[in-house]
Amino acid sequence: MDDFFFSLLLAGISVGAVYALIALGLNLTFWTTKTMNFGQGSLMMLCAMLTVFLSSQGLAVALAVLGSLVVVAALGMFIEHWTVRPALKSSGGSMGWVVSTLGFGIFLQGLAAKYFGSQAVAFPDVVFTAQDFVTVFGQYVSLQYLVVLAVAVALILALELFVRKTVWGQAVHAVSLDPELALVQGIPVRRLVLLSFMLSSVLAGVAGVLIAQIGGTVDPAFGFDLVLLGFVAAVLGGMGSSLGALAGGLLVGILSKLVGGYVSTAAEHGIAFALLMLALALRPQGLFGKPEVSKA
Amino acid sequence: MKISRRNLALGATMLAMPGLLRAQSSSIKLGFTAALTGPFNEFGEGINRGAQIAVEECNKAGGIGGRMVELAEVLDDQLVPDRAVQNLRRILDNKDIVGLMCPSGSGPTLAIADMIQADGRPIINPQAQTPAIVYPNGLDKPPRPNLFSISISNTVESEKLAAALTQFSRIGIVHESTGYGVTGAELVRQEIMKRKPGARVTVESYNQRAQDMTAQLVRVQRGGAEAMLVIGLGADFAVIRRNMSRLNMSLALFGAAGAVTVPYIEGAGDLVAGTRAVNHAAFGRRPMHGAAQKFADLYRAKFGTDRWYGSDAANPLISLAGTVAAGYDCINLLLDAVRRAGSTTAADMVRALDQTKDYEGATIQKISFTPQSHVALKLEDLGTYEMLKRGDRVVLELRD
Repeated sequence: MDDFFFSLLLAGISVGAVYALIALGLNLTFWTTKTMNFGQGSLMMLCAMLTVFLSSQGLAVALAVLGSLVVVAALGMFIEHWTVRPALKSSGGSMGWVVSTLGFGIFLQGLAAKYFGSQAVAFPDVVFTAQDFVTVFGQYVSLQYLVVLAVAVALILALELFVRKTVWGQAVHAVSLDPELALVQGIPVRRLVLLSFMLSSVLAGVAGVLIAQIGGTVDPAFGFDLVLLGFVAAVLGGMGSSLGALAGGLLVGILSKLVGGYVSTAAEHGIAFALLMLALALRPQGLFGKPEVSKA
Repeated sequence: MKISRRNLALGATMLAMPGLLRAQSSSIKLGFTAALTGPFNEFGEGINRGAQIAVEECNKAGGIGGRMVELAEVLDDQLVPDRAVQNLRRILDNKDIVGLMCPSGSGPTLAIADMIQADGRPIINPQAQTPAIVYPNGLDKPPRPNLFSISISNTVESEKLAAALTQFSRIGIVHESTGYGVTGAELVRQEIMKRKPGARVTVESYNQRAQDMTAQLVRVQRGGAEAMLVIGLGADFAVIRRNMSRLNMSLALFGAAGAVTVPYIEGAGDLVAGTRAVNHAAFGRRPMHGAAQKFADLYRAKFGTDRWYGSDAANPLISLAGTVAAGYDCINLLLDAVRRAGSTTAADMVRALDQTKDYEGATIQKISFTPQSHVALKLEDLGTYEMLKRGDRVVLELRD
C-alpha cells in the first residue's frame, strides 16, 4: 500500500474512533431523554486535566485516569439533575437544555482555568509513547493510534451488546421509544436516565484521555472543537445508533485526513461540516438511523 | 453675614487647592490590554509582570520628577481582537493615560492599530510580529507615527530562519492559519527563494489546537523535505513533534520564536532534543548584558523561579525575554521618553521616542528609533538555539 495513503488512513481511523466515542456519548443521553450534553468537550478536558493533576500528585497514571473518570461520572449525574431536568421541565420540550449544557461546559472551562491555570500542560503517556510502533506489511503503525482504535471499538461493541442482549439494555430501548409507557411498565426510568448521563460522561472522559495522549498537552479550551466533530459523526451515522456513531466517526476522520492529504490541509476541517450539510439534505436520518414517523 | 471680596477670593483659592495639588503630584498613568487570562495568557500575563517590575523599579527610584508611575488601566482581552478594541476604547477614554503598550498577538494589535494611530498617544508593541502593525502601507513606506515596536518582527525572524534553512534544498514549512503564521511562512519562503532560488519549499497550514497533523506532515514528507520549520505556538508544536515521531519522520526541525516556550518543551518531552529555534539572543549569551541580567534578578526576586522564569535560578528560560521582559522594556521606553521630553503630552513623547538612541533594554541591547524606523530589533539581536537533553533537563544552547 502507498505510504502516503496508509499514513492518512491510519490517522483518519484513529481520530475518527475518538469522534465515534464522543458521538456515542451524545447518543446515550439522546436515547433516554432526547437531549445531548453539549458540555461533553469540557468533560473531556476536565478528565484529562484531572489525570494530569492526580498523576502530578504521585498517583499512578492508571489510577489517575480511573479517579478522573469517577469524577466526570459524578458530574454526569449533576448535569442531568441540575441542567437538563430543569430545562426539560420548565420549557416543555423546547431547546433550553442546549444552552444549559453548553453553559455548564463553559463554567467547567472557567473552573479548570482558575484551579489548573489556562496554559497548556503536558499530558502523560498512558499506555504507549509516541515513539512506540509496530510494523505491518512494511508500514509503521503507531501503537498509540492502535490503542485509541481498540478502546473505541471495544467500548462501542460492548455498548451495542449491552443494549441488544441485556434486560437493562432492553429497558433503555423501551425508554427511548416511550418513557411514559416504560414508567407504567415499572422500568426505573429515572435511574436509567441518570445512568445514561453518567455513562455518556465516562465516554467523554475516555475520549479526552485518548486524544490528549495523542496531542501531548491539554488546556481548559481543549475538547470544544472535538464535540462539534463528534456531533457531526452522530448525525451522519444516525442519531441513536451505536454502529452509526462508529461509522460516522470513522467517515469524518478518514475523509478529513484524505482531503487534507490529497486536496488541501486548509480544507481538512471544513469537510466534516460539508458532510453534515450533505447528510441533512440527502439523508436526514443518517446512515444507520430510521426516519421518524409522527402519529397525529 | 457679610462676605468680603477678600474672604471670597481666599475661599475660592482654598477650594481650588486640592485640584492644584493633585495636578502637581498626580501620577504618570499608563495602560494596556493583553491576554491576562485564557489559553494565551503566557504572553499577556507575562508582559503584565514585566510592566509591573518596570513601574516598581521606577517608583523605588523616586519616580520621574517626583511623580510616581501607575499602571492605571490593565484590561484583559484573552487575545480576542474584539475585546482588545473594546478595552482600548475604555483606556483611550481615560485622558490621564499618557502612554500605552500593545496587546499580545498580531490579531488584537492589528485590530487596535488604526484607533491608536488616530488618537495619537504613544504605544509600543512588545510581542506581535506582523510587520503591517508598524508599517501598514508596506515596509518602504513611513511607519505609523505613534506606534513603535521592540517585538521579534516576522521580517527579521524570517531572515534569521532562512539563513539557517538554506543549508537544505528541500524544505517544509508548517504554519498556523493565523495572520502571524501566514505572514511568517510567506516571508520565510520568499527569503529562502531569494537566497537559494533552486530550493523546493512545501508550505502547509493548520488550525490552532488541532490534535492531529498527519495530513500536513505527510504532505511535507511527500515533498521530500530534508528540514521542516514550524511557525506556531508551543502546544501545537508539541502535537507536530509527537506526530512526526508516530510517522517515524526524522528531519531537521526548526521553530519560530513560539517554539521556545514551556508548552513545547513539556508537551513533546524528550522528543524536543535536536530542535533548533530562533529567539532573542539576550538571555542565551553568557554573561548576559547588564539590563538583561538586572531584569532576570528583579523578576526572580519578585516572582521566584516560576513557570515563566524556569526552575534554574542561574539560567532563566530563553522565552522569558519575549514573554515577560518585552513588557518591561516597553514601559521603560515610555518612561524614558517622559524623562527626556520633560513632558507627558503625546506629541512630546512621540518626538522623544523618535529620538531614542542606543537605549539598553533587557530584550534588545541597543534600542534605537528614528522617525523612519519604528522597529528596534535587528538580525544580531536574534539567536539560533539548539535544544539538548542534559540528564532530566532540556537546555537551549545558543548556536549562532
